[in-house]
Amino acid sequence: MRRFDPGLIIATLLLASFGLLAIYSSGGSYYFLRQLIFLPIAVGAAAAAVLVPRRILYGLAEPIYGLAVLMLLAVLIAGTGPGSHRWFVLGPVYIQPSEFAKLATVLLLAKHLSYKRTIGLNFRDLAVPVAIVAVPALLVMVEPDLSTSLVFAALLAAMLYGQGMRPLHILLLFSPALSFAAGFSLYTWIPFFVVLGIILLIRSGVEKTLIGLAVSAAFGLLSPVVLSSLKGYQRARIISFVAPWFDPHGISWNAIQSQIAIGSGRLIGKGLLQGSQKRLGFLPNRHTDFVFSALGEELGLVGCLMLLGLFYWLLRRMLMAARQSGDSTGSLLCVGFAAIVGYQMFVNIGMLLGILPITGIALPFLSYGGSSLLLNFILVGLVLNVVSRPE
Amino acid sequence: MAARLTRLTQVLMVLLGILSARLVQLQVVQGARYARLSDRNRIRKLVLPAPRGRILDRNGVLLADTRPSFTVAVVPTELTDSALSLLAWLLGIPETDLRQQLGPVAMFASPVNVKRDASIDEVARVQENSFRLPGVHIRVDPVRNYPGSNSYCHVIGHIGEVSKEELKRDTSLRQLDFIGRAGIEAQYETLLRGRDGSEYVEVDARGQEVGPLREKRPEPDVPGRDLTMTIDDRIQRLACRLLMPYPRAAIVGMETRTGAIICLVSKPDFNPNIFMAPIDASTWDSLISNPSKPFYNRTVTAGYPPGSTMKPVIALGALRQGQLNRHTRFQPCTGGYKYGNRTFKCNAAHGSLDLVGAIAQSCNTYFYQAGLRLGLDSLTAYAREVGLGRLTGIDMPGERPGNIPSREWLDKRYGKNKWGAGSVLNFAIGQGEVTATPLQMAVLYAAIGSGGRAVRPYLVARVDSAGQTIRTAAPDVRQLPTRPQDLAVVRLGLERVVEYGTGTGARIGEIRIAGKTGTAQNPPRPDHAWFVGYAPADEPEVVFAVLVENAGHGGAVSAPIAGQLIRAYFSPAVESPSAPDTTASPAEAAPASEPGTRPLRQTPATENREW
Repeated sequence: MRRFDPGLIIATLLLASFGLLAIYSSGGSYYFLRQLIFLPIAVGAAAAAVLVPRRILYGLAEPIYGLAVLMLLAVLIAGTGPGSHRWFVLGPVYIQPSEFAKLATVLLLAKHLSYKRTIGLNFRDLAVPVAIVAVPALLVMVEPDLSTSLVFAALLAAMLYGQGMRPLHILLLFSPALSFAAGFSLYTWIPFFVVLGIILLIRSGVEKTLIGLAVSAAFGLLSPVVLSSLKGYQRARIISFVAPWFDPHGISWNAIQSQIAIGSGRLIGKGLLQGSQKRLGFLPNRHTDFVFSALGEELGLVGCLMLLGLFYWLLRRMLMAARQSGDSTGSLLCVGFAAIVGYQMFVNIGMLLGILPITGIALPFLSYGGSSLLLNFILVGLVLNVVSRPE
Repeated sequence: MAARLTRLTQVLMVLLGILSARLVQLQVVQGARYARLSDRNRIRKLVLPAPRGRILDRNGVLLADTRPSFTVAVVPTELTDSALSLLAWLLGIPETDLRQQLGPVAMFASPVNVKRDASIDEVARVQENSFRLPGVHIRVDPVRNYPGSNSYCHVIGHIGEVSKEELKRDTSLRQLDFIGRAGIEAQYETLLRGRDGSEYVEVDARGQEVGPLREKRPEPDVPGRDLTMTIDDRIQRLACRLLMPYPRAAIVGMETRTGAIICLVSKPDFNPNIFMAPIDASTWDSLISNPSKPFYNRTVTAGYPPGSTMKPVIALGALRQGQLNRHTRFQPCTGGYKYGNRTFKCNAAHGSLDLVGAIAQSCNTYFYQAGLRLGLDSLTAYAREVGLGRLTGIDMPGERPGNIPSREWLDKRYGKNKWGAGSVLNFAIGQGEVTATPLQMAVLYAAIGSGGRAVRPYLVARVDSAGQTIRTAAPDVRQLPTRPQDLAVVRLGLERVVEYGTGTGARIGEIRIAGKTGTAQNPPRPDHAWFVGYAPADEPEVVFAVLVENAGHGGAVSAPIAGQLIRAYFSPAVESPSAPDTTASPAEAAPASEPGTRPLRQTPATENREW
């Protein structure tokens, strides 16, 4: 029996339309038309994703993952991009393998985790899942694209949680990495350490607390050692890369401009295409990462809340799809995909609102970019697949 | 799993709630303010330029600092046509020039400098009309100022505007920034350059600042570090003055024990302040096309044949190998030495001399034979070991190693074995293809005078940050392959040079000086005059290397200059100048010279001709 979720389709198409509007408004007709050409391709790819039998898809999880890793390696060697290696150029098309890698990672991870009844905080349960995620995440990180590599951490956490791992254990699993990231300054590290200690004390025994804190402390101490071995400007670059909010220069110029654009939209916005585009002229990626700023300026609070509502609708349908799925692999797929979309949405909008550091991360379905649009549609197609044919 | 999915949905709702709350805060609570800010881009980033560190001499005499300079800047997007015309008229710039200057950047909201180093009058005129000049701002910038003698143009160097490539390479630089281009300014760029601060201000519709932006803390600037140099301004100026009659020359003075440079003069020089204002074409052309190359730092970059100043190296090498001792006498000098079918000349018929006498009289015949005994390979290897042909490591850009024409070098230059055996003879008297910088010779002679301890010369003694010393120079010493007994012989020879030999012109009476003259052949032009010497002869504290291009004999020209400098170094710095040299400009007449100073150019007591 075939079920279908029209809500998911409608939400996706509405989001994409919002995106086209914003791209036209901020990037002009060139980028608008390019994105418009991609849309039918993306819809076609989504349709194919709906129709492919999942058994075959699961069977192909390893080769797909392998291909993704190869592409990430290749882009490191042969890729291009402003100051980094993120893209392949194929004629007029830029291909971003990290988008594909996210999907491939979720697929393989879902397949692997679905075999497990329970997941504890031990090497046997976690070695393989962590490795599956770490390989593409590290390859993306050295591109360098830290913000995208953090998406992998988000999807790992969400999928481990979905498969039944205790939240406390997830926190412990990630605490060394968090400690390292927070360790560049005592002002971030001490609060982190205190909060971690309190949580551990409440939720587990003294012994576990001490072990957890010791491991965290070790990684936290490593951070200043690594930093101090670097030259001044390298250190500054890394701190502003890992933690732009720590930058003594304060919130960045881009963040201020983005906030002015959004804030000046007020309740109902200045009207479509009425935003002062000139002012956004100094935002480097106004039709990609900063597309939400243009929407906020032109559509105001009403438009922004509508957009957030659409995201809520979409993500809720994806999580409901996880519930409806007959097989746990399918459920995990949906959870992983929802984590990707949800994380990127929150981080992108959060940075434009000035509550998160400015990092290069795209807003799913809205930001200009063929690879991103295509992969996001395939992702929705796969969720529809899970809903429509329980196996 | 169902419960967990519900929990994930709740997490999602919390996250969306956070975003919504922030949206309400931005768009409703602060909406009016942001709308006002966006009306036109009413935020301007102001840069608070950090003053560059000062450069002082060893006694605290100011050699480079930063003075305020007024710059008229324009925000092209805010400038109206009528304001542009008015501004052009006020500043006396042709309107078309101004338009051209702003042309390619007219779409940007960041200020463009249209007049650097504007005069007080110009600033006042612009200020008076400020209400008619929207988008025009007066900025006070720190500008580099070199109040010292022009002779510092090579040591201290100068700064210049960054190039596009440098901007790309170093992200901490901004357009229109100045960075060190030569000398200390370039070598110590990272210490001298501070970090600019910044401040965001809100401006009103006329472009006038109304106050700092609340969202943004101002970041104070960090001034650059102050450098105290080892240079003694008094000696530097005296050296400069003693070189007045000579267009091309170099002097290096150094403390023998530490390597602290006392003076470093290269002529011709120029006024480094010309780089701070837009340089006019004729000044630039005259500097660039000057055949004497004023930008060339002769003390560390130029390799000259060392001439007879090379002889102590030959002596030390031969003594060490046991080919020679103090009393060795060769075939007597008859005014030349016949080798093969060629006669190699000497400056006089010295007759039979021992080693000390040969050094004192600078007898070429003696050293031809010593060189032949030692052989080219041993000679060149030894010259390298004592530091010739390699960098001294002074903390200054542009140092060159000179040249030691070894067998490999000669083979490469002339083809295998296509060079004559006479090369070793030329090498033995420091002529031909062997070259050394004045700095290398100073370091070498300091080592000869101090038991073979070769120092690394340095120019910066101390680095201060906000009055606190953060770094002091540590002398760096290397032991040369010399034996004390050999050094004693050579030092005796060097003392005799000044006592009764070729270098009597350096004699100053109260302090015993040891040194060596040299005359570097420079065919077809006149010879270069060398003198390198240290004092006091028994326990040297200071060494001077003097090279005057095309001035003839080292004994006649360079030795007296070294004598004067040594006398000044050891005398207290209190006397007022009573310079015999009337050509000295008032600005440079500061250095002391005590009563009874000899005339600058004098004939040495003993007229000794040498190569």
